[in-house]
Amino acid sequence: MTTLTRQDLNFGQVVADILCEFLEVAIHLILYVREVYPSGIFQKRKKYNVPVQMSCHPELNQYIQDTLHCVKPLIEKNDAEKVVVVIMDKEHHPVERFVFEISQPPLLSISSDTLLSHVEQLLRAFILKISVCDAVLNNNPPGCSFTVLVHTRDAATRNMEKVQVIKDFPWIVADEQEVHMQEPRLIPLKTMTSDIVKMQLYVEERTQKT
Amino acid sequence: MDELYLDNIDEFVNDHDKIVTYKWLSLTLGVHVNTAKQMLFHYLDHKRKESSAQLHATYLVSGKFVANGQTSHKVSVVREEQLEDVKAKMSLIVSVHVYSVQKALLKDSGPLYSVDYDAVKDNLKNCSKYSAIRCPTAVPMSSLELQQAREMHRAPSPEPENKKPAMNGNGNLASKPPTKPAKGIMGMFANKSTPKNQDSGREMKSEQKEDAPVVDAPKSKPATKANPMMNFFGSQPAKKPEKTVKEEEAAQSSSTAAEKQRQSPQAEQKRGAAAAEPQKNAKKDSRSKNKRIEDSDSEEEKMEKKKRRRIKLPEPDSSDEDVIPDSPPQMETREASPSPKKEAEAVTHSYQGNSDGKIRKRRQVLKSHTFVDEEGCIVTEKGYESESYSETEDDFQPTKQAPRDPFKAKLPSSSKDEEKKSQKKSSANANKGTKQASIMGFFQKK
Repeated sequence: MTTLTRQDLNFGQVVADILCEFLEVAIHLILYVREVYPSGIFQKRKKYNVPVQMSCHPELNQYIQDTLHCVKPLIEKNDAEKVVVVIMDKEHHPVERFVFEISQPPLLSISSDTLLSHVEQLLRAFILKISVCDAVLNNNPPGCSFTVLVHTRDAATRNMEKVQVIKDFPWIVADEQEVHMQEPRLIPLKTMTSDIVKMQLYVEERTQKT
Repeated sequence: MDELYLDNIDEFVNDHDKIVTYKWLSLTLGVHVNTAKQMLFHYLDHKRKESSAQLHATYLVSGKFVANGQTSHKVSVVREEQLEDVKAKMSLIVSVHVYSVQKALLKDSGPLYSVDYDAVKDNLKNCSKYSAIRCPTAVPMSSLELQQAREMHRAPSPEPENKKPAMNGNGNLASKPPTKPAKGIMGMFANKSTPKNQDSGREMKSEQKEDAPVVDAPKSKPATKANPMMNFFGSQPAKKPEKTVKEEEAAQSSSTAAEKQRQSPQAEQKRGAAAAEPQKNAKKDSRSKNKRIEDSDSEEEKMEKKKRRRIKLPEPDSSDEDVIPDSPPQMETREASPSPKKEAEAVTHSYQGNSDGKIRKRRQVLKSHTFVDEEGCIVTEKGYESESYSETEDDFQPTKQAPRDPFKAKLPSSSKDEEKKSQKKSSANANKGTKQASIMGFFQKK
């Protein structure tokens, strides 16, 4: 089969597209499962041939899409080390953190026909794992909100600040209060390794949530 | 049977945090589905006695249900808390068994489907190896037959476009209306590379990824009554497809299984299918499919028990397109009250006949509208709208879907169409509004 490398930017974009689509679905699912928003706004839709819950609220969807649109160039260049979905309580202290650690092998290559369906299968497993994660997590206090943090390698964010990818959607350096969590408890959820991406998902939750 | 399986299930549920469905367990351990169900039941029993970790279970309940004077066969997956409730509502319970065991309390039924998806996909050719439904005449089509089926399906589809008067060309079409629904089904099947069967016994084998709890005999709990089953077959078995994401393609499998139960109350023997076959032959061309599994989770309660159901009566020329307009009960912010099944029934059987033999129908499609009401709140209303379509609808589909708003939900009905015509990328502009194309779509973009 064809062997494409990272220099083939088209393929790098394809990987970033796949990951961003997955992250969008994952974020919606996290919001649903952790009850950050009332379940009435969610609707069953299909992704990777399995049912997932996506929100119908236009502003929420737009926010998530804009967020991921800005993250995509970082993933393309393999600058994004972690994408973190932080759930915060009313005082904006983090209560839970869903960490997606992403790493891409330096020499991406597709060497098999079934690569993408294999990746689809792995992503499906992630989705399933998120759906059942409330078995291992304590309940969140009411009135939570969420935010998305990106940990980048080196100084990629400097470039981001210079160039606003989306107008009026600036990214700022997160302050200590939002990043630091007291007494975190780490719960690994899922790991996947494939030819095009390696991803790990774990949850850090605060031992005392209320 | 030895007790090792208890440890196995324990490991799956507690250590791996898996959802263990009976189907997954049967494929993983290589046992018959009924054995798997019993295993789950014993495990649950065992754990409950020990009163150790918190476990949740879902059950499959199947039986007769009377609504508005019409009887239908209902199959539903229910949570444990709702089990007694649902059982009480049924007029006759055919089967109750454990569907799955898991640690987490599931908020909706989506993961139950995902669990079985991969297991069934891996065992596609023999996914019915351990199942209890048998049909000796159902064999996969040879590739030659597949070719013919595809050609037959494609041949009539260019015809309606030309709008020829009912002449020779369409004389063939006009003379075989009963086979059109069958072609519709075959067309659906032909596009998928899975074992097909065209026979009356459309069994579980044909499904490519749907797990679906098939109605099997109950395990240790006897819940059947012999005599009422005869009545069940004496009258017209009205099927009621429940709207859920899990859609099964086994036609009358429930009645088939029920028939089996009547003949052999034991969990082991399921060979009664043969006797049921002659009856099913008569209904070969009638709609088929599906019996849907109703999902009695919180969605249902929110809808105040207003379940949208359609009673399917076996008619020789009824088509199976009814399957498509069904939509799973949606989570709604404010529910527009759709008129119940009667309207849907009337609609699906109304024909806008054309003289050239093309059949156009109107169907109700669940559409959602998002708008800002007078108080400045964003409201999403979902309601049924009439949409005109024809049997060969892929060419008409894009025009209907183009005016939709981009962020409107991609309806399951249309996603089923997409699946159906997955080989025909002409429906590509129907995909424009949402990004639900499968991951393989990346390759086609080149």
